Amino acid sequence: MAASNGFPGAGRKIAFEILSHLDANVAGPRLGKLSIKGRHDVETPNFFAVTSRGVIPHLTPDVISSHTHIGGVHMALEDFVERAMGGTPPVVNCPGPSPLHTFTALPKSLPSLLAPRRTPAVSAPNGNSNSAISIFTSTGFQVLSNKSYISYVENLRPDIAISLADIPYGALPGTKRVAKMGDRTQEWLSQLINEKREEQVIFAPVLPIDYLDQSEYLNNIADEQADEVSGLALYDSNLLPDIPATTAITKLPRLSLDEPSSPRQILRQVSLGMDLFTVPFIGFATDAGIALTFRFPRPLPTGVAISNGVGALQLGVDMWPAVHATSVTPLDTSCSCYTCTSHHRAYVQHLLSAKEMLGWVLLQVHNHHILSEFFAAIRESISSGNFDADCEEFGRIYESELPEKSGQGPRVRGYHFKSEGPSEPKKNRPAWGNLGSDDQEASSKLVPDEPAAELEGKGFAEKMED
Amino acid sequence: MTPITPMPSALAFELVARCSTTKARAAILTLPHGPVQLPLFMPVATQASLKGLTPQQLEETGCRLCLNNTYHLGLKPGQEVLEKVGGAHKLQGWKHNILTDSGGFQMVSLLKLANITEEGVRFLSPHDGTPMLLTPEHSIALQNTIGSDIIMQLDDVLVTTSPDTKRMREAMERSVRWLDRCIAAHANPTKQNLFCIIQGGLDLQMRTECCKEMVARNTPGIAIGGLSGGEAKADYCRVVNTCTGLLPEMKPRYVMGIGYPEDLVVSVALGADMFDCVWPTRTARFGNAITKHGVLNLRHARYANDFGPVEEGCGCVCCRTGDGGLGITKAFVHHVAAKETVGAHLLTMHNVWYQLALMRSVRQSIIEDRFPAFLKNFFSDLHGGDKSKYPEWAVEALKNVGVDLME
Ligand SMILES: [Zn+2]
Ligand SMILES: [Zn+2]
Repeated sequence: MAASNGFPGAGRKIAFEILSHLDANVAGPRLGKLSIKGRHDVETPNFFAVTSRGVIPHLTPDVISSHTHIGGVHMALEDFVERAMGGTPPVVNCPGPSPLHTFTALPKSLPSLLAPRRTPAVSAPNGNSNSAISIFTSTGFQVLSNKSYISYVENLRPDIAISLADIPYGALPGTKRVAKMGDRTQEWLSQLINEKREEQVIFAPVLPIDYLDQSEYLNNIADEQADEVSGLALYDSNLLPDIPATTAITKLPRLSLDEPSSPRQILRQVSLGMDLFTVPFIGFATDAGIALTFRFPRPLPTGVAISNGVGALQLGVDMWPAVHATSVTPLDTSCSCYTCTSHHRAYVQHLLSAKEMLGWVLLQVHNHHILSEFFAAIRESISSGNFDADCEEFGRIYESELPEKSGQGPRVRGYHFKSEGPSEPKKNRPAWGNLGSDDQEASSKLVPDEPAAELEGKGFAEKMED
Repeated sequence: MTPITPMPSALAFELVARCSTTKARAAILTLPHGPVQLPLFMPVATQASLKGLTPQQLEETGCRLCLNNTYHLGLKPGQEVLEKVGGAHKLQGWKHNILTDSGGFQMVSLLKLANITEEGVRFLSPHDGTPMLLTPEHSIALQNTIGSDIIMQLDDVLVTTSPDTKRMREAMERSVRWLDRCIAAHANPTKQNLFCIIQGGLDLQMRTECCKEMVARNTPGIAIGGLSGGEAKADYCRVVNTCTGLLPEMKPRYVMGIGYPEDLVVSVALGADMFDCVWPTRTARFGNAITKHGVLNLRHARYANDFGPVEEGCGCVCCRTGDGGLGITKAFVHHVAAKETVGAHLLTMHNVWYQLALMRSVRQSIIEDRFPAFLKNFFSDLHGGDKSKYPEWAVEALKNVGVDLME
């Protein structure tokens, strides 16, 4: 028998079914299935991809559809509202029943999760107030009131909205501040619940402070709002064991916004009963040129196993070094992703070294695939009852943190655009500019920098006799 | 002059149709990695990658022949790596055709200290100042290693606007001599097609001489070079028209560095078949979408709330809705343009599709012998039906091949 939260037919868009671990009083890993009307089902534990300005960096929507198996996406309202000061942000004006989905061309099968802030978020210089938080848009810091957040949720219709949380990013809050956090967050949640459309799905934030400092808020959810709230979003996974173990609360799906920095931290959170994750380290690895290669609990028989020299295996391979330049093997021989089945290390190394955008596209596809496989293996392990032993083995086999990135990476976001002005040749001029040459983008990097002998060795040209 | 021996070729050229009014042709060019339909636009994947598109996405635009630049591949990853990996097709996982340039043009334009002698292109190594030399033999050896389906001769490139007639003649005659060296150095004539490059600036007499000399060398294909360097478009059209008049009918004709839509359709009318240009993909990075009504800069605030497709009726994966189409709106491109590379990827897909679709419809109209009507529609769409806005050079050039846009 499965425990189920959700009321099909009662206007609710979401159902969460716990497929294992029925004993609410025992903390531990659990299997589940999150069903959202009109989207694909998400088996848990699983992850939602992190977006920037509504896109998974480097991946166009067709690539997401064809070459990833992510559970859903995490979107940040602050990525859409830089124009709010001068009028309505365009996303709000987007026609159709799911404006956020339609605006971002997100594949229809993928659930969308809207949070006020990015993960990770930039800390704001001005604090929050009783009615608003500070957010960081592409044009600078802005104030986002709970009132406008509620109206954005109403307009954008994300599949899931996380209620506004009073979190002072950056600074550790003092005692007085901590006391306010729970109160404000509770107030904002109550307002959202009162004003939202009935079918809007809400996750309640759990704050990154001690349980006792927010117990009133959490108990209120357990006692009064468990039917209105469809999930919990934990900014600190350590709070999980402290959450009141009422049946209503235990049935809720739990989303981690705790930004795990390694697979080991994901495993720890899974062991506490976490269901859904955002995993910013996928993007960090991609931008650093690292191909993730870890498997759970151990490398596949055909896979890469690179030792760090002291017995533990690396979690990924830095693709920058020239050792890969002639390697026609996939990033990971056991990987079935598009990158690994269609391309090889030599190409990825070349693309990184040539600073071609496709290098990061191919790494991003592969790294998301590795995480999907990682979560699938976790579910398999829980299902077969081996999770504790498998975690122990994983911890023994693999290093605890991702490999150091080498000196060359990561790329700065938007580097292609920052260095160049919008000086485009005009249409229909009677004469051409110098279209054939690529020197505008080339001048900085496309002049040979190696010694003459090396150029000669490459067959590029020969040294001249004097 | 070198004795003329028939040169082996790795292509087949089948003429499918001729326009009964203009000099336009439709053909099928079968290359080592499959057939391509002429007239054809070739996108430029400079460093073995097309601006963030996966080879699969490039394939989905309909592209079956793209460019790589020899100069760039010679630097990165270099000949040794290319040799070990097995050439450019294997490097980039591209199953279709590749054309490479000789590398000379980029060398001259990128290395400010380069100069040209009879031996080849001399330059000082920017690293340590050592004098270096790129010869026709180097260029061909590198292109042989790259394994491209079409390779280009090293030519002595001079801007067409150069006023120095003596230097222009020297460059033209040297290009002919270098062609002989390229032919002699070419190691894979049965697997790779060497194209000669007609030089001679804007001097029609010199172009005529060059055509005669080079046609006699009997290369599998022929390029018209040294254009798109700042000359008046009327002069450009005269050169293309003169050259195509002298070229054998049963060989492909490639005009290098051409990519604006109106230049493409006029050049086809003048009898050219193949074109390449970085503009459609480079301009995508600046938020520019090519449409039949002109170029739209989607970074402009007027598109922030425009929820229509990038181009109404466009068949590209971005603009299409339903059936695998993404339903990308101008508003969304505006939202990500210049902030996330995905914005550039999306517009690159659209722009490449636009260029290829334009050439497909040009081809279809030639086959159905309604190309003159196509030209009239094309210019009307581009200028909102306002004939006073039509570029004079285009009106003039088309009049010379029997199409009066103004009538
Ligand atoms: Zn892979
Ligand atoms: Zn389109």
